[in-house]
Amino acid sequence: MVCEQCHERPATVTVTQNQQGEVTERHLCHVCAAENHHIFSLFDQSPFGINDFLSNWLPVQHHPAMSPRKSETVTCPACGFSFAKFMKLGKFGCAECYETFSPQLDDMFRRLHNGHAEHKGKVPLSFGRTIKIRKEIDELRRQMQEAIADEQFEEAASLRDRIKGLNAQLDAGGEADGN
Amino acid sequence: MAIDHFLRNSATSWMSNEGEHSDIVMSTRVRLARNLAEFRFPYAFTDEEAKKVDERVSAILKEDREPPEDFTHIDIQETPDLKRQILVEKHLISPLLAKGEHSGSVLLSTNEELSVMINEEDHLRIQSLQPGFRLQEAYEKADSLDTFLEKKLAYAFHETYGFLTSCPTNTGTGMRASVMVHLPALTMTRQIDRIIPAISRLGMVARGSYGEGSEALGNVYQISNQTTLGMSEHEILQELENITLQLIEQERRARRAILEQSPSALEDRIYRSLGILTHARLLSTEEAAKCLSDVRLGIDLDLINDMDMSVLNELMIFMQPAFLQHYAERPLQPNERDRARAKLFRERLVNDHDKQEGEDSA
Repeated sequence: MVCEQCHERPATVTVTQNQQGEVTERHLCHVCAAENHHIFSLFDQSPFGINDFLSNWLPVQHHPAMSPRKSETVTCPACGFSFAKFMKLGKFGCAECYETFSPQLDDMFRRLHNGHAEHKGKVPLSFGRTIKIRKEIDELRRQMQEAIADEQFEEAASLRDRIKGLNAQLDAGGEADGN
Repeated sequence: MAIDHFLRNSATSWMSNEGEHSDIVMSTRVRLARNLAEFRFPYAFTDEEAKKVDERVSAILKEDREPPEDFTHIDIQETPDLKRQILVEKHLISPLLAKGEHSGSVLLSTNEELSVMINEEDHLRIQSLQPGFRLQEAYEKADSLDTFLEKKLAYAFHETYGFLTSCPTNTGTGMRASVMVHLPALTMTRQIDRIIPAISRLGMVARGSYGEGSEALGNVYQISNQTTLGMSEHEILQELENITLQLIEQERRARRAILEQSPSALEDRIYRSLGILTHARLLSTEEAAKCLSDVRLGIDLDLINDMDMSVLNELMIFMQPAFLQHYAERPLQPNERDRARAKLFRERLVNDHDKQEGEDSA
């Protein structure tokens, strides 16, 4: 079967749309399917809609060549969810899943969220602090490397101590007193 | 406070009929999905973990906070089915939580405007409910409770992905904001069929908010955001607000058009529905919802002016099966429910209305 949209590439994806009770099926190639972002915002929001959507979209079983075998066998060390289980259920098992499956997530998030894959909203206060500290450490490390390169060892040592202090704060969950 | 407080079929603040556009926007809801970093999410955790999550969150909500807010803890598995169903019919808990597949609970504020579901699809679902069109207020209340909780609980949060949720459709802000809108004129003129797909292209979803499937019972639709990643809470709320304002404008235009083109047909339809609600002996959910919608429209268009709109908001909720059975204090077969529903409508509507009618005919 040829893709219904470009009429060039073979159709590898079946997109099932259920809109107001009217079910339509479109057979698309992976390129056209990815371009049709709006299709993905039409899927039913019911708690069980997402798994149908994911299994419809990503041709995991039928086209092993398209999704590298490796990604399918990855298993989350914290909750034991395999990538295949995540796809079938359409749900993450734990926070660690996000790290484990991260190579696959960017594409998926872009499809689900109108082309976006990065959070832009509220940041919990404690994370706000640690993010700030991490950025500060990165900046101090850069300065320290510069100081070493310039053979400013006294300067480098004082930078190293400041980095140490900030790391201690990070370990304490971003609390200012570091204890 | 005991669960019975939340099961009474008396009005609560979010059913009232206040504020701008409250003739079209019935209520506003904002929910935030959150998980604790320390525990696996509800699709993977053990019941032991579920209990710990419940204990930890509940303990924090029982602490004193400013402004003071009293939360009642309701354990779902210890709650009988009918009572769970009533909470679902009031939209205070979700059908998923009501299933009680693992240890879960809901913490409800006394006025029902704030709630926290524990161990639904995520460890926490903070929900804020407001009457009328109040997206900002609803968000502020949910946000301030979230900020309070976040000081005591380590949330699962990721620098790139934001708040981590079970479902990838909630990742990011974890926020779903929605408005319940009554769109009888857009439905009558079938314009809704073209509006719903248009809304979905804008990253929002429109669907019927009562009953099963996509059919909109009583012409009440729920409009909510689909995107949770890549937009800030403020941007999402702003877009939902803009779309809702456009819908309100279109609904008003359609109402004017119908009123100009066929005023007597519309008036007849509205009064027939009022007749059914006040005199029928058997009322199905579908018929009651349709008639409620007509009467509501009649009040909005000043064709009916002796009826309180908030009574209609309440009836939409109290006419549902679990409420009827709780009210009757016994299980009811479907045909018995239709009878009980008709009785409920007569009791709630006729008293007020008769007084006025008597004056009219005098």
